[in-house]
Amino acid sequence: MSMKRREFLARAAAASAAVAGVAVAVRPAPAGEAPARPGKSRVVVIRHEALAAEGQGPPAPRVREILDEAARALGGDARASDAWARWFKPSDRVGIKVNCLGYSTRPAVASALAEAIGTIGLAPDRTILWDRTSRELKAAGYDVRDAARGPRCFGTDALVSRGNGGYTADVLTSGAIGSLYSRIVTDETTSLVSACILKDHNIAGLTCALKNFFGAIHNPNKYHESGGDPFIADVCAHPLIRERLRLVVCDALRPQYQGGPSFRPQWQWPYGGLILGTDPVAVDRIALEILSKKRAAAGMPALEAEKRPVRYLASAAERGLGTADLGRIEVVSIGKAWLDVG
Amino acid sequence: MAMHEIGRREFLRTVGAGACALCAARACAEDAAGDSVTEGAKPQAAVHEARWYDRLPDKAVRCRLCPRECTVADVERGYCGVRENQGGEYKTLVYGNLCSTNIDPIEKKPLFHYLPGTTALSVATAGCNMECKFCQNWRVSQYRPEQVESIVIPPENLVRAAKARRTPTIAYTYTEPVVFAEYVHDTAALGRKDGVGSVMISNGYIREPALRDLAKVLTAVKIDLKAFSEKFYKEQCAAQLAPVLATLEVLKDIGIHTEIVTLLVPTLNDSVAEITGLAKWIVTHLGPDVPVHFSRFHPIYRVKNLPPTPVETLTRARKISMDAGLRYVYIGNVPFSEGESTYCPSCGKVVIRRVGYNVDASLLKSGACASCGHKIAGVWSQDDALAFKPRPPKDGKPAGG
Repeated sequence: MSMKRREFLARAAAASAAVAGVAVAVRPAPAGEAPARPGKSRVVVIRHEALAAEGQGPPAPRVREILDEAARALGGDARASDAWARWFKPSDRVGIKVNCLGYSTRPAVASALAEAIGTIGLAPDRTILWDRTSRELKAAGYDVRDAARGPRCFGTDALVSRGNGGYTADVLTSGAIGSLYSRIVTDETTSLVSACILKDHNIAGLTCALKNFFGAIHNPNKYHESGGDPFIADVCAHPLIRERLRLVVCDALRPQYQGGPSFRPQWQWPYGGLILGTDPVAVDRIALEILSKKRAAAGMPALEAEKRPVRYLASAAERGLGTADLGRIEVVSIGKAWLDVG
Repeated sequence: MAMHEIGRREFLRTVGAGACALCAARACAEDAAGDSVTEGAKPQAAVHEARWYDRLPDKAVRCRLCPRECTVADVERGYCGVRENQGGEYKTLVYGNLCSTNIDPIEKKPLFHYLPGTTALSVATAGCNMECKFCQNWRVSQYRPEQVESIVIPPENLVRAAKARRTPTIAYTYTEPVVFAEYVHDTAALGRKDGVGSVMISNGYIREPALRDLAKVLTAVKIDLKAFSEKFYKEQCAAQLAPVLATLEVLKDIGIHTEIVTLLVPTLNDSVAEITGLAKWIVTHLGPDVPVHFSRFHPIYRVKNLPPTPVETLTRARKISMDAGLRYVYIGNVPFSEGESTYCPSCGKVVIRRVGYNVDASLLKSGACASCGHKIAGVWSQDDALAFKPRPPKDGKPAGG
């Protein structure tokens, strides 16, 4: 992609943001510079026609190319492997937390991500694609396996032989929550990626990077009241998540702006994007802008009007998990302008 | 997770070949799975359509069982974690999916004015519609059904087991029976026909229509009145006090035998003012004959920073309540206390002496004090238990129906 095109796209994105009343710093994809402007969280939104295909999207190798470009932009690196090496090291055990409830993170995205991380020299079996249950992973199209070759893939319930349904033996508290955490987090990983999907949620308003970790605790049903606030933030504020979470890769290929978390194709649209960031709050904030803009364009009421505003982002910011302040988020837009939801 | 105390094999021998076969199959499957991490937990076999819910547009449902009235999107679960929206149909995942079974003294429930000295076949499934930070059974109540070891026992098998073990009562207990209300209802209905009573040991967090449906087949109820302040319910139980008080009033209206337990947690719900308020409310709204138990807290789950309840606190609560007019007040989890026994409110003599779970009811004659003949409130024979019929609502329709 030429610099001229990037500049053009950046201006277009800025214009879109201005139209939407969003004061976000938008700039072209950088290369070979510091990961983000001082005091700002960088979020990369990369869009490509290939990503907008219906169903499961493009094959993993094609997703991988696009993902690498986004990683370079996020890290400010000339080579993708250098970018991935910013967040992971060969001795890591990486847990890629996908979201398989209702409308799921596409296997092609998760597989491409696992492959990309592997370029730093990480042995393939040191990566795990995981969620709550193997059954849900299978239903979402994942190849559940504990393979010697390639990334492993299974649910927390697969560790049931370790007792307590695959969860920690004792309850862990964080703010308002008291939960058992998945032994995949505690026993099998040193670092985490939130490989979420961008979709509406009938109670919390939005499910993306942060809420994805409700799938890491044994009792998420207890914590949906008040729009999941502050519970979602509290789950992620526990050191088990906070200290392991290195990266967010959001499947925004065909986001869903209404009817979530169930699969409702009538409310999905071909956005054709991936959203990357190291700040999960900032990623969620940008995801919310996209979702809200699409809802408005589709003539749907704002989430606030439906009494399900996304409250938990402010609580997450208060807990130091990242920034929800658009003025402190630097959006790097690659391809079609990130706020063009047409 | 281990089953509760009854020998599992022994119990299964009693409940019938069907359940045994299921258990054996399951055990074999577990053995075969070994440590494979790709197998996961076995699918649940106790999925059953829920009884109290409304269908909403776009495959959503609204649960009408408890005061939370969860609106649940397709593929999601309600607060209790045991009810799931499957394509617009609300399903209970715990119909007969028992994680705990035991034969307990009825006094352990505690029910002190209901068939004293008898036993109850006591069962539970995973799940609860509250989250009490001091829950003594959180290892099952705060789990989802797929996270605990369970066996599926159909209603008819459970009734058969109760009869085979000569227990006059089935107790739905340990966790929260409201969340497995369909199973409670169907089992209790069968039991009634077969001479087995059913008691529900509950937090009382249930809507009136469902409660009235259950009361048609139950023979007694024990309600945990966890405190007498909304603050406590909100902060310690993630719930509200008002619906529980409403349940107690409905139970009085129904006329079913009811006892109340309050676990006194040091500094959180044990003030003189709160106990006084609680006792006066019971006297005023339910009458002085409702047995009330003050029970001892032990540090557990999310409240490990407080000591066990001092015995003096329990004794004081008993005195406050009796001074407020309650006639039968007990203190629990304190063996060898005089607060374990039942005294005649007329002559003051012991009518049922208890030491732990040892019961001597020889001074109770036909439900009355052997010394003075004063009638003691309660259910004293199985015939009386099974003869219970609920009074219909005054206006013919339950609130919220």
